[in-house]
Amino acid sequence: MNNIRPGREVMVVGVGLHPFGRFPDKDLSTLAVEAVLPALKDAGVMWKDIPIAYFGHVYYQGMSLGETTLSKLGLTGVPIVNVENACSSGSTAFWQAYWGITTGLYDMALAFGAEKVPRGPVTVTAEDSPERYIGGDHMMAGYALRGKRYMEETGAPATALAQVTVKARQNATMNPFAHRKDTYTIEEVLNSRMVADPLTLYQCCPTSEGAAAAVLCAREDLAKYGIDESRAVSIAAAVLTSGDYNGRGADHSAFSPYRTEPAALQAYDMSGLGPEDVDLVQVHDAATIGELQQIESLHLFPFGEAWQGTVEGRTALTGDIPVNTDGGLLAMGHPFGASGIRMIHETVTQLRGEAGPRQVANARVGVAQCSGAGDVTTVHILKRG
Amino acid sequence: MTPVSVDPNRLKLTNDDAANGPLAGTLIGFRCKECGTSVFGYSIFCQSCTSSELEPVDLGTKGVLFSYTIVRIPPAGWPGDIPYVLGQVELPQGPQVLAEVVDCEHDDLKIDMAVTLTVRAVPAENGGPEKAVYKWRPAKSGD
Repeated sequence: MNNIRPGREVMVVGVGLHPFGRFPDKDLSTLAVEAVLPALKDAGVMWKDIPIAYFGHVYYQGMSLGETTLSKLGLTGVPIVNVENACSSGSTAFWQAYWGITTGLYDMALAFGAEKVPRGPVTVTAEDSPERYIGGDHMMAGYALRGKRYMEETGAPATALAQVTVKARQNATMNPFAHRKDTYTIEEVLNSRMVADPLTLYQCCPTSEGAAAAVLCAREDLAKYGIDESRAVSIAAAVLTSGDYNGRGADHSAFSPYRTEPAALQAYDMSGLGPEDVDLVQVHDAATIGELQQIESLHLFPFGEAWQGTVEGRTALTGDIPVNTDGGLLAMGHPFGASGIRMIHETVTQLRGEAGPRQVANARVGVAQCSGAGDVTTVHILKRG
Repeated sequence: MTPVSVDPNRLKLTNDDAANGPLAGTLIGFRCKECGTSVFGYSIFCQSCTSSELEPVDLGTKGVLFSYTIVRIPPAGWPGDIPYVLGQVELPQGPQVLAEVVDCEHDDLKIDMAVTLTVRAVPAENGGPEKAVYKWRPAKSGD
């Protein structure tokens, strides 16, 4: 295993978000720019100050889209890197930005992500794949298989899974950027259209459009760019992993419910923090079962017990470990390239104490975890000051 | 036209001639000579230890239902019935194999039940010979 050696301290100094939803009149570049500009403004820096940019996006909409997008802000000649890492594309862009700065290559970096996800079930493989005949290439069916097994092994009732959606929707009512703001009862969640048993429609995240951006800067360079240190949030850990062998097979969500654990352990090690230090967490809740298994993999709950913690309200905004405080994928929707940085946006907003009605009291340490096909996992730990 | 295996690296047909009875086949993969790990489908290097010392292995026709779901909104291009049962089946050698579970009542499905491979012909999406697709069915005595 490579020895992780972070160098200088890196901080998130600006975040920006374009609302998530459906925007037929805006192309991807427009969405992206409308997240980048607020992030630059939030940081108090100019585009011409940015020495490198990383752009997370998945669906092909032409070559070098990051370059064409940022060209609207002026051609500055800086390196612009397009990043495709499935649902973790945005968080991978953020991870690259962190490592570019901590190692001393750059003072500052822009990480942004945007996506316009087509409607309908999401598949992973190409059109000529045998999977089309076999029927296994279905993201939500993969989560359903995990859900079915989890319920069998832990005794979790369907109502416990549904509570994850109920909570997400309640949090989203306090978030003006959310795709879905209607609240549901447990019964309404369970009575919505069945997608793949036990997952009903309201337990699966909407496919969405949206964009998110973050500006990162070395702590020692904040003054050089006139950045307000009091609103800067420190990055205590930045970890990216792919799948390791688990004895069952490769690269399908159904086969790998706990692939977050290795990334989480690395992140705790890198930060010197542990699960007991975490005040709030954003995880990859593409489906309700995903949230339960992710927070167990982050060691915030013992394996098999997250459903009980959810039923007891421990993951609600008022609980002891609030999860997906902005509504998560289940209410925000999931524009692949943007979601990972949307989690950073929410974590930074909470740690700054600027989350308004959904503010978690005394939030000091926040975790953002994102998963993607290919068993791509990112875990970032952010802390105040 | 004789059906062809949907993926010759995963399913070896042992009967593709209707005159000789139903379509039949066996799952195949590779076994690592160094660490003993078996993988389903094609591999050049061991998925577990990265060794290149692999040998072809017959993974048979039997497994246990690790999990299942009834898919009511199918993925793009799905040529079969809706809903369909998708099974996650663990083979005795360790790998898991996703495929449709057929010839079953939904209420009879149980996690950890024994299942047996069955091969069914499916029309090809763009014409050409039918695809011989591996599926699971509940095991019967005598399998």
